[in-house]
Amino acid sequence: MNRRSVLASLVLPLVASLAIGAGAQAANPKLKIGFVGVTSGPAAAWGISNVRSMQARAVWLNEIGGVKIGGKTYDIEIVTFDDQKDPKRAIAGMEKMAQEGIRYVVGPNVDDGAAAVRPVAEQNGIIYFPYAFPKALYSPPASNAVLGMVASYQSGPAIYKHLKENKGVKTIAFISANESDPLSQRADGIAAAKALGLKIVSDSVTYQVDTTDFTPVITPVIRTNPDLLVLSGVAPANAPQIIRSARELGFKGLISTETAQDATVLMEGAGKLADGFISVGGASTPEIASDAMKEFVARYTKMFGEYNDESNTKVYALEYIIETLKANPAAIDDVKAFKKTMDTFSAPNPYMKGDAKLKYVGSSSFGQRRQIAVPLVVNEFRGGKFETLFVAEVD
Amino acid sequence: MSRPTRVVSARLLWVAAFLVLVLLVVPWTIEAAGRTDLYYTLTSVALLSIASAGVWLTFYIGRINIGQGAYALAGGYTSAILVTQHGVSFWLTLPAAGLACAALSVLIGLPILRLRGVYFAMITLVLTEVARLTALALPITRGAKGIVSIPLPGEVALFGVTIIPDFAGLANVKLGFYYLAAILMILCFAGLWRLVNSRLGRLCRSLQQNEELASSIGVNIAYLRIVIYAISSFLGGIGGAVFVAISQSIYPSSFQVKDSIDFMLNCFLGGLGYVFGPMLGTLILYFGWDLLFETGRFQLLIYASLIIALILLLPNGLLSIRLPRHRRGGT
Amino acid sequence: MEQVLANGVYLGAQYALIALGLTLIFALMNVLNFAHGQLYVLGGFVTYTIYGQLGLPYVVALLASAVSLAIVGAALQGFLFGPVIRRSQREESTMLLAAGIAFLLDAVILLLFGEKQRGVPKIVDGVLNWDFRVIMPYDRILICALAIAFVAAFILYMQYSRTGRALRALAQDRIAAELMGVDVSRYSMIGFALGAMLAGIVGGLLVTITGVNLGMGGPTSIKAFLMVMIGGAGVISGAIAGGFILGMMESIGLSVLSQYGDVTYLVIFASLMVFLAIRPQGLMGKPWG
Repeated sequence: MNRRSVLASLVLPLVASLAIGAGAQAANPKLKIGFVGVTSGPAAAWGISNVRSMQARAVWLNEIGGVKIGGKTYDIEIVTFDDQKDPKRAIAGMEKMAQEGIRYVVGPNVDDGAAAVRPVAEQNGIIYFPYAFPKALYSPPASNAVLGMVASYQSGPAIYKHLKENKGVKTIAFISANESDPLSQRADGIAAAKALGLKIVSDSVTYQVDTTDFTPVITPVIRTNPDLLVLSGVAPANAPQIIRSARELGFKGLISTETAQDATVLMEGAGKLADGFISVGGASTPEIASDAMKEFVARYTKMFGEYNDESNTKVYALEYIIETLKANPAAIDDVKAFKKTMDTFSAPNPYMKGDAKLKYVGSSSFGQRRQIAVPLVVNEFRGGKFETLFVAEVD
Repeated sequence: MSRPTRVVSARLLWVAAFLVLVLLVVPWTIEAAGRTDLYYTLTSVALLSIASAGVWLTFYIGRINIGQGAYALAGGYTSAILVTQHGVSFWLTLPAAGLACAALSVLIGLPILRLRGVYFAMITLVLTEVARLTALALPITRGAKGIVSIPLPGEVALFGVTIIPDFAGLANVKLGFYYLAAILMILCFAGLWRLVNSRLGRLCRSLQQNEELASSIGVNIAYLRIVIYAISSFLGGIGGAVFVAISQSIYPSSFQVKDSIDFMLNCFLGGLGYVFGPMLGTLILYFGWDLLFETGRFQLLIYASLIIALILLLPNGLLSIRLPRHRRGGT
Repeated sequence: MEQVLANGVYLGAQYALIALGLTLIFALMNVLNFAHGQLYVLGGFVTYTIYGQLGLPYVVALLASAVSLAIVGAALQGFLFGPVIRRSQREESTMLLAAGIAFLLDAVILLLFGEKQRGVPKIVDGVLNWDFRVIMPYDRILICALAIAFVAAFILYMQYSRTGRALRALAQDRIAAELMGVDVSRYSMIGFALGAMLAGIVGGLLVTITGVNLGMGGPTSIKAFLMVMIGGAGVISGAIAGGFILGMMESIGLSVLSQYGDVTYLVIFASLMVFLAIRPQGLMGKPWG
């Protein structure tokens, strides 16, 4: 009896306060933007680079006095939900966002999560920005999802074409983890390579994401001696290991991927062996980064101790939400107005030098504008840093 | 009143109170408080506790089952494939998913149920990963692309009278799924309770304590094990199928090793000696994570610490807290 | 073929060392330690911090990994597993505790070391190239040799030292050992510390080749379970055999099956299930562990 009452007196108030307490409201009006994604467990890096870029930007915006939307000034508040890369939890996260009255959510980070939250988002009138590529999410009748990055079926062809024309690539090999997202990206890559007339020498080698030694995995691929080895949908944790194994086995060709990577991780994991590795990045290479981008990186680094280059590609979703709301203040709690504005919206891109524009694209891939226009920056890793190989646009 | 009648009527009172709580008080409270997000959370708890109940049942014959995720996935795919590729009504696919899993579990169970202890536990753990890789490799499951845009459950009518409304036309789909899950959970645990208190249940307990002894007094242990494992997998399939209806999509990763481990933990936390252990365990473990949502980056740390603290306080499960009082009442 | 075998030996050596710690803890306490992989990751991060960040010699870092993990292991047994095992009616309850500890370590590692993949500078440069039949970087050869040396040292320790004999007695028959005057709680703690230390050493060794990230823990535990099952739960020689067999299976399976598409791991896991169904006690285990 004693232990029981002690336990009850400990647990009950805690549960009650967490269940009921909505937290004190601040005096300034707050604009809540949600995030549903993975910030713990094996895939934590994807979600954390995402959340941190949002938090860093929100703190920055609030510091300079907030955001002015339709004559009213708001402070930005980021509400995050960790779905542990479980689609069932992702649904709970999206419900939580609806409960908080949030209309705009960034995430989820993977295909299954993005597909699972679709019914909830549509029932509750939420626009969400997944980092997942299935076209069904963005094509009619679906209309609430906006692709938050450049898809592999858009960047792949551009990279292969560039390498075919400039580096004389003729044969290509693919390797991917045996998970949904990377396998889908591999299928897209194979289709793109075929369309370009490249010869595919190996496209069936897969690995478990928890592989600790890639040498046996990659040995059969290296035997086919391709000009270009594509790491489809490779996780930043695996990339340096695969590169290192391939190079140590004597592979001399090019290596590329369609996902964003982190320079420090590559440097620590593969060192000089990673030189020449081609990946997709944001806009932080010195050639194209604007002062705003440089300040963003500095603030992020100060706030969290270390920058993550993956964040370059993930800084945009929040920017798009805020700028679109500025363009049409009625959209602040009406996603229909938001969708209408998406067709015509255009604003200067603050993170890139020159006159690049923020606008919604995707008509050719999805039949409607359901993708944010992120500059397709293709990087080459050299001496611990990324250098811009070329920049392209997605329509 | 004689003692047995008093026990029975007290029990009926508890059941009635539980039904009122789940079917009336909870929805009413949610509506009154405006916390409609809790519908989904509680729906999940109900569905996961059904799958956990299956795991609990295999514990009942002395087997640690870390493979329920495989059957949840198989059940989900059965329902999804029947609905999208053959146009079968969801309501028919629900029992079909359960039965398909039960049939599958007989095939798998025949060889592996001979194993015990950690050996059985480990082989079921591998089973979950095999299920995921199979779903990735088979054409009928559409491999990595998953099955998406699955329609919501449709109407069920008998002689023109609507028994179950079309979910797509519901004003509050969440409430619909909540009732579906809650009723399934009640049926599941009523059945489980009935089973445990039947002759079959007594046989199971004899199996749990000593298989050789049970066998020597004429219990057909091989048959009993298969039956229990099939029921267990049936429950896993049901849970998986409803989840697929809610998310309207399924991927090979929809149920994975982590889910299998969670199902097992739910049973441990609730208490292996109590029929309602898996329900309580699921509620605490799943709901606990959601409640801690506001703690941000310390969520996992606090969650893990609380679990460890609970085990230190109550190593025999949450429901064991009632033990002392029970004994006093009995003597 | 030589390359495939060399890859298998390297994988097998590291797997065997991981499985040893797990099987030791299982043999002594019947605890399936779900947190074993997290202990390995923690060991990797300790070496990363001392060798990679502070720039101290690698040997110091490896030693620090071993010592700190031994302390963590002893603490886990002393404060958590010990009390729960004493008061629990069914020993399976420790699985929940182990899972809780795995969550906790995941959370602590995330907060302390961050979400990124980490790596350290190579300890030896250069690649051995035997006529393009076997290509093996020197650091892999060194790590492989070290792993085998640690396995050998562990076997000798268990075989000939006083502590090792007491631990084996404990594993064989707990009650008999207690009656013979073995201090069970003390040796349980030593055993757990030793098991965790082995995990820490593997972490420290492998961080130089594969690096380390917080996500490696859970999957590593599961792989280690597999190896232990192949060889037979709670049997030291079984864990070593299991490690080498899984390493070889992966290496050969990947090279033979890669042409058939994405089924390599499906075949590996499915054949393991068949093997265990036919021979439940593994290669050398006692039946019904």
